Amino acid sequence: MYSIETKNITYNFSPNETVLDNINLQIPEGSIYGFLGPNGAGKTTTLRLILGLLKKQKGSISIFDKNFDKNRIEILKNIGSLIESPSIYAHLTATENLILLRKIYQCPKERVAEVLEIVGLSQTGKKKAGKFSLGMKQRLSIAIALLHKPNLLILDEPTNGLDPNGILEVRELLKKINLEQKITVVISSHLLAEIEKLVTHVGIINKGKLLFQGTLEDLHKMQNQSSSVCIETNNPEKSMKLISDLNLSSSLQNGQLMIPNIDKHQIAKLNKSLVENNIEVYQLALIKNDLESIFMDMTKN
Amino acid sequence: MKFIYSLQSEWLKTKRSAASWLSLIGGFFVPIIYLITFLKEKTSINSYYPFANIWKQLLLSMWGNMAMFLLPMGVILASSLITQMEFKNNTWKQLNTTPQSYTTIFLAKFSVIMLMMMKFFLFFNIGIFTSGIIPSLIFDHHLPMMPVPVLFFIKVNAKLFLSCLPIIAIQYLISLKFKNFLVAIGVGLLGLIGSLIGLGWKYIYLSPYSYPASLVAGPKDQINPQISAVVYTLVLMAISYYLFISKKEKG
Repeated sequence: MYSIETKNITYNFSPNETVLDNINLQIPEGSIYGFLGPNGAGKTTTLRLILGLLKKQKGSISIFDKNFDKNRIEILKNIGSLIESPSIYAHLTATENLILLRKIYQCPKERVAEVLEIVGLSQTGKKKAGKFSLGMKQRLSIAIALLHKPNLLILDEPTNGLDPNGILEVRELLKKINLEQKITVVISSHLLAEIEKLVTHVGIINKGKLLFQGTLEDLHKMQNQSSSVCIETNNPEKSMKLISDLNLSSSLQNGQLMIPNIDKHQIAKLNKSLVENNIEVYQLALIKNDLESIFMDMTKN
Repeated sequence: MKFIYSLQSEWLKTKRSAASWLSLIGGFFVPIIYLITFLKEKTSINSYYPFANIWKQLLLSMWGNMAMFLLPMGVILASSLITQMEFKNNTWKQLNTTPQSYTTIFLAKFSVIMLMMMKFFLFFNIGIFTSGIIPSLIFDHHLPMMPVPVLFFIKVNAKLFLSCLPIIAIQYLISLKFKNFLVAIGVGLLGLIGSLIGLGWKYIYLSPYSYPASLVAGPKDQINPQISAVVYTLVLMAISYYLFISKKEKG
């Protein structure tokens, strides 16, 4: 079952500007879904559409297997969200900010202190939220999102403004609530490295198009597939011919041969062929593309 | 029950807010000036014209001073401040993703402005009684000579409250629509000043800002101002509601 499923979501701010183009998200229940893309790719617009903050133009959105438009209130009871910058009342304290939302969600009084403890804001006392640092505001926003124990958390760049320690803490917190409370987490970011250690599933969006969607494992497979090999021999020209005999492509760069998209069996075959043809192999190095460069390649094109 | 929770939540937002302070300061401002004048001149309401109820005279005198400018200006400020709180704190997106219908959000917020107005009226009336009683006790050593005309107080307060409704409604509409606080305040101030200048005009009831001042100094032979105020408010609220629910971007 999917916590969120969108079908052909398309959105234009103006007739000539397509912000989202047929987005089909499938976010499995219980997953931590990293929604990745560079700034301006359409991440926030997608999340705002999912939450009903933007009026849908085309396509459909289902959350918990229910149509969002027809079940908005029921669905929102089970969603905690943080969209872009913190949403808090600056003239109120952290506790007061939570109390006023507690009234709407009708959750137990103790929950206010609990979530403040979770995000490390228990000691803020009478300090008004407007006087908080950006990191503290972000933590308070996460506390607000967690207040009513939602089944689905939608967090748009939640680590913005946090220091490295804060980022680590948020990551651990999200892992913990996902594991212990089986909460589905959707987290958007423009940095793959930041969420690579956290997510189970990944969606990559650029210029309003979903370029990749799958498990982190799928992305790793793609990483392995896109490995290349660098070979240095005493006879590059003859080596190139042998490589081409194996139906592989190669290019000569600074006296070294670069062979893209090669798997380990092909590497073994190639090495054997070179040696059998009396070519001295000085170096055979595997160059693995890291996930970040795959992401960069996808979003650059 | 749902609406009550939303209303409670909206009311909590006004804690320590500028609108809350405004209702307190605005409510006691004119009564304190009267009190100081009584104390300075060593007199009390017992020295008022004895052939009419002295409380009525005090009430009408104070409201007369309030209704022309201070009351509508306070209403403009309070309505705009409460509504604009969401823009100022970037919280529309938070509010619109809570499990409440848009109708509930719209009505709860409007109700809070009404409650804030009631709070102001309460403070103002406490101020009237205080400025009537304290000088009387100090200088005459007894309570004011005449009984408090409770029904008259209620009637005058109700009329003034109704006269504020069109201003609340128009400010609510503008503040929901425009992010910039200055738009709401600017339109309100221009509307109020324009209405005061044109107060003698026979169609002045077309301006929502004219109603409180009209009670004091407006043309008397016009349509029933209370009914007109309520109708005006309902029309403005209907437009406001339509604009609110049909908004393409809700935060």
